[in-house]
Amino acid sequence: MNVGIAQGERNPNSSWLNSRGVWLTYIILVFVLHFILLSIPYITTSVAWTLTTTIHNLCNYYLFHVVKGAPWETSDQGRARRFTFWEQIDDGIQWTGTRKFLQIVPVVLFFIASFYTKYDKTHFLINLATMLLAVVPKFPIFFGVRLLDINRY
Amino acid sequence: MGSPANHDNVASLATDFYSLLESFKETPFYHLLFEIFLVLTVLWLILFRKPRRIEKKLTEKEKQELIDEWQPEPLVPPVDANHPALNVRVLDGIVGKTIEIDGKKSLNFATFNFLNFVGNPRITDKAIQAVQKYGVGSCGPRGFYGTIDIHLELEERLAHFFNCEEGIIYSYGFSTVASIIPAYSKRNDILFVDEGVHYAIQKGVEASRSTVKWFRHNDISDLERLLVEQDIHDKKNPKKARTLRRFLIIEGLYMNYGDLCPLPRMVELKYQYKYRIFMDESVSFGTIGQTGRGVTEYYNIDRRKIDLISSSLEYSVGSIGGFAVGSSFVVDHQRLSAQGYCFSASLPPLLAAAAIEALNIMEEEDTTLCDTLMEKSKRLHQKLLDIKGYLIVGEDISPLKHLRLTNSQNTVARLEEIVEFAQTRGITITVARYLNDEHRLPEPSIRLILNVEMTDEELEFLCTVLQEARVKVTV
Repeated sequence: MNVGIAQGERNPNSSWLNSRGVWLTYIILVFVLHFILLSIPYITTSVAWTLTTTIHNLCNYYLFHVVKGAPWETSDQGRARRFTFWEQIDDGIQWTGTRKFLQIVPVVLFFIASFYTKYDKTHFLINLATMLLAVVPKFPIFFGVRLLDINRY
Repeated sequence: MGSPANHDNVASLATDFYSLLESFKETPFYHLLFEIFLVLTVLWLILFRKPRRIEKKLTEKEKQELIDEWQPEPLVPPVDANHPALNVRVLDGIVGKTIEIDGKKSLNFATFNFLNFVGNPRITDKAIQAVQKYGVGSCGPRGFYGTIDIHLELEERLAHFFNCEEGIIYSYGFSTVASIIPAYSKRNDILFVDEGVHYAIQKGVEASRSTVKWFRHNDISDLERLLVEQDIHDKKNPKKARTLRRFLIIEGLYMNYGDLCPLPRMVELKYQYKYRIFMDESVSFGTIGQTGRGVTEYYNIDRRKIDLISSSLEYSVGSIGGFAVGSSFVVDHQRLSAQGYCFSASLPPLLAAAAIEALNIMEEEDTTLCDTLMEKSKRLHQKLLDIKGYLIVGEDISPLKHLRLTNSQNTVARLEEIVEFAQTRGITITVARYLNDEHRLPEPSIRLILNVEMTDEELEFLCTVLQEARVKVTV
């Protein structure tokens, strides 16, 4: 993985989300997802927004908190093997810019979705549930925590 | 301006948005509260949370406690005073016919010094001359500046000695046969191997990744059974069978048992069942046969019927290394395929010179070395049979014999006692040691090696000591 680069990052997973343009790409991708959903004829705007937030939060949860290790050979001697992607970001330093950004995006999506679904109760519950799923594991209290030994190894 | 339809679309969008804004005014109370709470949390996150590492800091008190608790472990753990590493026996001087252990000289019946070439002054002189001519090392593998004219000379001499087309030398006896077998036999080939072969052959067989069929030691009927099974299997799938290679791996004189292989019958079966014979003559080279040319000479079999003969230069010849001889077609393959040949440094020239001189001595016109060795072996065999209480395993002409105690008394501990007693009387013998992952661990035994220059009196002395030891141990 580290072939041909000068700085020799031990685990690129820790820093690629800080790269130039990644945050913007992230937001654009969410909107692309939303437009794709909007273009399906039988989905109303509110359903589309709820779907967007749900899909985004579920993918967020899976990619950041379920998948562990890195998809390439790291030179950190396997230190990152048991850590989820979220725990690997910035080598475990909490409250960095990227982490705050990633925590805020589901919340903002929740606001937008609530607005577009006219504060309907069912939509609210669904959006709330997925938002909690995406936001709560990102708090530092949950760093390294594996509830009920799920996903420990 | 756009078409009426467009205008309508824009208008409808505007009404949609207006309706959304309207609904904002009718939000449920809990939802609004929740949203305000979230907004405040987000603002707090952005503005007030500073990055910090997750690290546990130890207070000064905790650090001091840890320092005070620490007890250093001893550099040397307490160890039994009888540990073998604390009671090392020191050898002094040349390990020839006599050994000097801890200052006492004793007769050497333990090392593989069949023709007593170790310490032979002719060989030593030639080796010293080689050091003065070539230096000490050869500085490279055979393929990369490591080939010296003396290597080529040794290979030619070995090929000439065995009357074969070509010879090839290796720099370490163990890795000779362990490199040769995987060079020819690959993953799906079939190897018929005797169960009593020594460890280097076992490792070569393992490294080749071939299908191994072990047959009972020196049991031709077992081998035939395996061959017949394989034949039936092949007839079911002739196309695959044509791509399979079959080899028989045997030793001329078995190091672990001291008996000869039934070569004539194996050569017959070779032409019947179509396999190739690789024979390892480490122990029989220089000891069996009229002129020391091995088992093929003893049985009077044409050496062209054996596909490859390999041996070690470390036993009779008294040098270091190994070699293989055979037809050019067979041996040449090893120059690129044998790991031990391509990837190890070549034999130091002084050892090659020693080997050449040893061959000179063996090939001398009037030499009776091998004859004498066979005679003495026979005599020793008779003498040993006369001692009560020992089981002699091995051929009578073999200079390598295994001694076991009769019935259930045969344990390593008792044999070690016998060895210790013999050492006090001035005879050095050794218990044959094996690694735990041998394919078939032979029974414990004392491995006796006969040196050609042992006199009759010395052999008598050996038998006397063995007899006394036996009495002492069983009492």
